Amino acid sequence: MSNPKRPVPAYEAPGSRPETARERAYFPELARGLAISAGHFLRNLLWSRDPSPDVLHRRGPNAVSTVQYPEEVAPYPPGYRGMHRLVPREDGRPRCVACYMCATICPAQCIYIEAGEYPEDPIEKYPVRFEIDELRCIVCGFCVEACPKDAIRMDTGTHCKPSYDRPSIVYGIDRLLKGPAVSHASDVWFKREGSDPPPEADPHPIPERGR
Amino acid sequence: MPDQPNVPPSSAASAPSGPVAPKPESPAPAAPQPPKAPAGFVNVEIDGRPLQVKAGTNLIEAANQLDIRIPFYCYHKKLTIAANCRMCLVKVSNAPKLVPGCQTPVTEGLKVTTNSPEVMDSHRAVEELLLYNHPVDCAICDQAGECKLQDYYMQYDHRPQRPAQPKLLRHKRKELGPTIVLDQERCVLCTRCVRFMKEIPGEPQLGVFGRGNHEYIDIFPGQELTSRYAGNTVDICPVGALLSRDFRFKARAFYLSQAVSVCAGCSRGCNTFLDHYDQVSYRYRPRENDAVNSAWMCDDGRLTYHRLVEKRALAPMLGRVGAGKPAAFAEAVATAAKRLEPFRGKAELAVLVSPQLSVEDLLAVAQLAKEALGASALYEGGLADGVEDALLLRADKNPNRQGLRLVAKAFGLELRPFQELVDAAEAGKLKALYVAGAEVPIDEHMAAAVLEPIEVIVTQAVHLDGLAGGSDVLLPASPHAEDDGSFVNFEGRLQRFERAYAPWGESRPHWALATELARALGFTWRRASARAVWDELRDRIPEFAQVDWSDLGPNAIRRPGIGLAPAAADARPPGYRERPVQLKARPPEPIQ
Repeated sequence: MSNPKRPVPAYEAPGSRPETARERAYFPELARGLAISAGHFLRNLLWSRDPSPDVLHRRGPNAVSTVQYPEEVAPYPPGYRGMHRLVPREDGRPRCVACYMCATICPAQCIYIEAGEYPEDPIEKYPVRFEIDELRCIVCGFCVEACPKDAIRMDTGTHCKPSYDRPSIVYGIDRLLKGPAVSHASDVWFKREGSDPPPEADPHPIPERGR
Repeated sequence: MPDQPNVPPSSAASAPSGPVAPKPESPAPAAPQPPKAPAGFVNVEIDGRPLQVKAGTNLIEAANQLDIRIPFYCYHKKLTIAANCRMCLVKVSNAPKLVPGCQTPVTEGLKVTTNSPEVMDSHRAVEELLLYNHPVDCAICDQAGECKLQDYYMQYDHRPQRPAQPKLLRHKRKELGPTIVLDQERCVLCTRCVRFMKEIPGEPQLGVFGRGNHEYIDIFPGQELTSRYAGNTVDICPVGALLSRDFRFKARAFYLSQAVSVCAGCSRGCNTFLDHYDQVSYRYRPRENDAVNSAWMCDDGRLTYHRLVEKRALAPMLGRVGAGKPAAFAEAVATAAKRLEPFRGKAELAVLVSPQLSVEDLLAVAQLAKEALGASALYEGGLADGVEDALLLRADKNPNRQGLRLVAKAFGLELRPFQELVDAAEAGKLKALYVAGAEVPIDEHMAAAVLEPIEVIVTQAVHLDGLAGGSDVLLPASPHAEDDGSFVNFEGRLQRFERAYAPWGESRPHWALATELARALGFTWRRASARAVWDELRDRIPEFAQVDWSDLGPNAIRRPGIGLAPAAADARPPGYRERPVQLKARPPEPIQ
């Protein structure tokens, strides 16, 4: 049946080897298999798991390397886009000025914004509502690219938690605004306090013509 | 769409392709001579293309006729020439330096160059200068998307700003008055607003203060910008300096679609664009029509868009105030017909019609009143008179009173003032009332109290205020933004408006409600659109007998296959969002 000249394909298991006498005796092999199982059992029973938080590189006496999700989460590879966050300013307000660039470019149309007006702030416009429907979001990152104010980033390293109902996956400002505050030298609030020009703004003020 | 009043009559057919060729009575001459222009017209050459144009036309308008767009900020067709923005500098053959196109009239044989490197560099330099102190805060600017600074930057400049000294800081949010807020940093000092306030309403409330780099637009000390026409300064501001406090931060301009509409705020009927997005109206903008409103509209009319979105009746209701409950549409119509049935043809039945309805609505309602309800008169409702001025605003706050008069006359129905309805109701002569349009000229609570003893009140109403609360059957109607139709203004000018979006909720146009009511009363009327109503009934009005639906516009062509009510967002592809507004005859639509 077997043709020695026929090359054995890689997917064919080598089953044509004749069984040895020891294998034919059955019990020694049975005992050897039980010994392997018992060895793994005792090893996992008597030694603890590798406590390293780097779950992908756990070694150690304990052979169980399963990631205990959701208590443990495997880290994303570099370059992976995690979930959004709205970047706060130093004062805790969002950097977002509700310019709708992200909502405009979003191919999944999952961003909803309503703009409002700060009464006293050098930037008058802010988002009253900023909602991302994470069920519709395809995590493409276009919103981050489009944002002119560095107000939305995908650097959280997390993903959207599952839920039993849809409304709780629509994330509002309360859940999106998190993470370290960010400032740039070009930010307007470094130049002025409010909407009025600062007193030193006019280098050539018209002098008062008092007597 | 630029008007072309300056095209000579002899060359009207071939104006874009060049002057009319001389009659070939002789063999062609060796050297082509420019053809003699008709009296009052001159030959010019713009970018090598010949043009015959009326003498005295400025270069911007002349080039416009050849579809050559000279950039400008301060020039406005309806205002005086200031020539202070220097954006429209072009090269002409009779001057050593570049000249402003807005200020320079055409002369015989003038050669104009608008695209040479010298001119393009001038455009670029002016644009860079205007952006020198501009804050470039497009992200929070309401003008972004319709801003000339953005357009011309992309077209002529398109390079990073050169490092310079820090930009001048000025008032970023100065509330000039009840309607307008000014951002002095964004201003390019074109003075269009100053000239407008001085020349059109004649209320010079704005001025230019300071000198040189420190100039700024402002109101005079201790005064406010209180003019009724101040909203026009927002429209004509080429940048985001003057902004409407009502529209501020409500929507981005690049999201809005425009529908050709007519202001329903008074009987002037100013031609407008209605800007809307996702089935919500956001603002009116004036549309140029020299016969009616030039290029302006009043602030009172601008704010009437609120009536399109606020306090709307969206579902049929059965029962009066307190006991009213929503009902299915068919049930409400059947109930209305059943309650009105015993009063058909009797003097105890009155019909109240509002001049807020379009001509098509009124035709269907009048036919229902005359033929189905057997009425002999219509009571005239509508809003009470208000202020009037010499420019645009009319005292009559209803857009279609002339149309109501024409329709009533056509159906042989007598028009009676609202006071007679009040008198008849107080005398106990009325037992049933059919209302089309619930606006009344007296206080609404007083009117509801007067009409309360009437046994049966069937109301078609757009809003939940007015008489709507006191009716036994309320049928929700849609306002003029949600259907095609026409108004007749106080001069008798028939003006068509177009549907911006589909009716809200379960509301339907008045003509559809009247038709449904007639069908419930045993008639077999069938109408699919306002146009069907017009085609069926316009012959009854001798003044309209010759007017075809297609002749009236609206000037935009509705494209097929694009739904008017996109669900989540305005998902129209590019080119469908901004409809070109052109006065084109379109083929008649098939009547369904």
